[in-house]
Amino acid sequence: MPTEPVIIVHGGAVSGVHTYGSSEARVLGVQAAALAGWEKLKETGCALDAVEVAVCSLEDNPTFDAGTGSVLNQAGEIEMDAIIMDGKNLDTGAIACVQNIKNPVKLARKVMENTHHCLLVGKGANLFAEKVGISTVPLEELVTEISRQKLELCNGSYEDRCKHAFKASNVKKCVKHSDGEHDTVGAVAIDVHGNMAAATSTGGITAKMVGRVGDSPVIGAGCYCDNVSGGVSCTGHGESIMKVTLASRITMYIEEGLSAQEAAEKALDYMFNKTEGAGGVIAVSKTGEVGVHFTTGFMSWAFVKSGKLHYGWIPGENHTRAVE
Amino acid sequence: MPGAVVLVHGGAGKIPKANNDVDNQARLYGVKSAATAAYEALLAGASAVDAAETAVRCLEDFPVFNAGVGSRLNLAGEVEMDAAIMDGRGLRAGAVGAVKNVKNPVSLARKIMDLTPHVLLVGEGASQFAQESGVQLVPMQELITEKSRRALAQVKSLPFGIDPKAEEEEEEHGTVGAAVMDTAGNLATSISTGGISGKHVGRVGDSPIIGGGIYCDNMVGAAVATGQGESIIRTCLANNIIQLMSTGMAPQQAGDSALETMRQRVSGLAGVIVLDRHGNSGICCNTGHMSWAQLKDNELSWGLSAG
Repeated sequence: MPTEPVIIVHGGAVSGVHTYGSSEARVLGVQAAALAGWEKLKETGCALDAVEVAVCSLEDNPTFDAGTGSVLNQAGEIEMDAIIMDGKNLDTGAIACVQNIKNPVKLARKVMENTHHCLLVGKGANLFAEKVGISTVPLEELVTEISRQKLELCNGSYEDRCKHAFKASNVKKCVKHSDGEHDTVGAVAIDVHGNMAAATSTGGITAKMVGRVGDSPVIGAGCYCDNVSGGVSCTGHGESIMKVTLASRITMYIEEGLSAQEAAEKALDYMFNKTEGAGGVIAVSKTGEVGVHFTTGFMSWAFVKSGKLHYGWIPGENHTRAVE
Repeated sequence: MPGAVVLVHGGAGKIPKANNDVDNQARLYGVKSAATAAYEALLAGASAVDAAETAVRCLEDFPVFNAGVGSRLNLAGEVEMDAAIMDGRGLRAGAVGAVKNVKNPVSLARKIMDLTPHVLLVGEGASQFAQESGVQLVPMQELITEKSRRALAQVKSLPFGIDPKAEEEEEEHGTVGAAVMDTAGNLATSISTGGISGKHVGRVGDSPIIGGGIYCDNMVGAAVATGQGESIIRTCLANNIIQLMSTGMAPQQAGDSALETMRQRVSGLAGVIVLDRHGNSGICCNTGHMSWAQLKDNELSWGLSAG
């Protein structure tokens, strides 16, 4: 019996009211990405293709901190991380600290399909991009005015900025810094054959050290996907997500019998208790149930299932409209 | 309160040919020395993290192991190293991927953990931080051995180049690691590797992947892996072992079970050393060969295969 296909995307978990960009742009962006992924699911019936297309859509949208619109590191450059994972065989491809390419998730897929490796970083990742015919673009094409402003307005230590950008909504507000920290994007899908895929892509956190890699391309942390349990993509304070291996924690809870939603909530609670870090997750179980949860103020997300597009931004929000 | 425990390994691989007995003796000497140095540090009051760093520094300095000096070479003939350290208190962690010219990558991982707000630095950014942090830098030639050169030449001579199972098929062994409990009952783990001979430039394996090749949580236990890196990553091996122990499974059983799951899912083979929060240990390996040493209650034990 064919599985009902589902695709879900997120555009980043953040705190604070945004002075940069608009919540509307984010919500429209995730809707467009979810619909693009949905079209692909209908076209090829392949979850891997669908998450790649959805994440490419988010990478090309300068609103989000991935591909175009990525934030800048300490040196004023862009270093991007991405991962894609196939739930069928646990095949994985990831890249970290790659520079000057438009769609890091495409390169991650090439790592998965064209090498025996799971993760290529830095100059090696760029060399591989050349080898597989992925062209470079000038840095200027990826940098936005907003990303530049954020770097300029960065006050205080990285830790303070993270506490501000990713603070849990139940933690007292910290007043110091420029808000509107963008974040990682991601997608999870299950196709008509019951195969699952997940992908995550990011420019990281403003003013991170050169060479800093967060959770996004780390298997089990920012992304995990296994046909026997489910698929997950995460966003938020990368270091906290890495320490609790958030994505594989969620698939583990699903395997233990929790629903996708319960697993998402339990895992983010666990992360906060262990690290005081906050973030957001999207999850799909092997039975096609969807989970969406975030412990920051906001997270843009959208999913398509059973002929309906669902989307939200504020906690508890769940708007729907029909799709073909 | 359990006493100090030190468990180290010098890499898992297939059973080496008989004429490598000299190397086997060198490996045993290396793991015993590393375990002894770490244990003595613990008895003198060092923390688990200090001792875990000490143990792996020792192994990195022995050319017979594939870490630090003696690291295998990437396809371009360079040494790019991965390492990590994790403190069971508060899940603090530091990791480095594809770094060059650092004599002791585990010490750089420690600096990342202690001096930066990050967990993982890679490539040139990692090298930049290495310079700023004061860890010892060396010319690449000092890390390259004749054995590493030969191993690369062998890979290059294969018709299709590197094989995904190369790490466990190589006569030479992989990643080194340590799992430690100090006299206060705190746990720490450390890991270091030069990776697979002939790997792509910039390839990072399981060692600096928290939850993959390494994990440590005072509330549950510690696990450090060696073997086929991509398989370890894809199945989150260290994480699985910690999860099994959190349900009450003993370290040996948890390690063996997780290795079997990995073998069934992705056909990869590996070795792991495991400690639970009571200081019980597990030494597990399905590749046929793993040099290891353990010091506990002042008794030193060692071997070339699991258990």
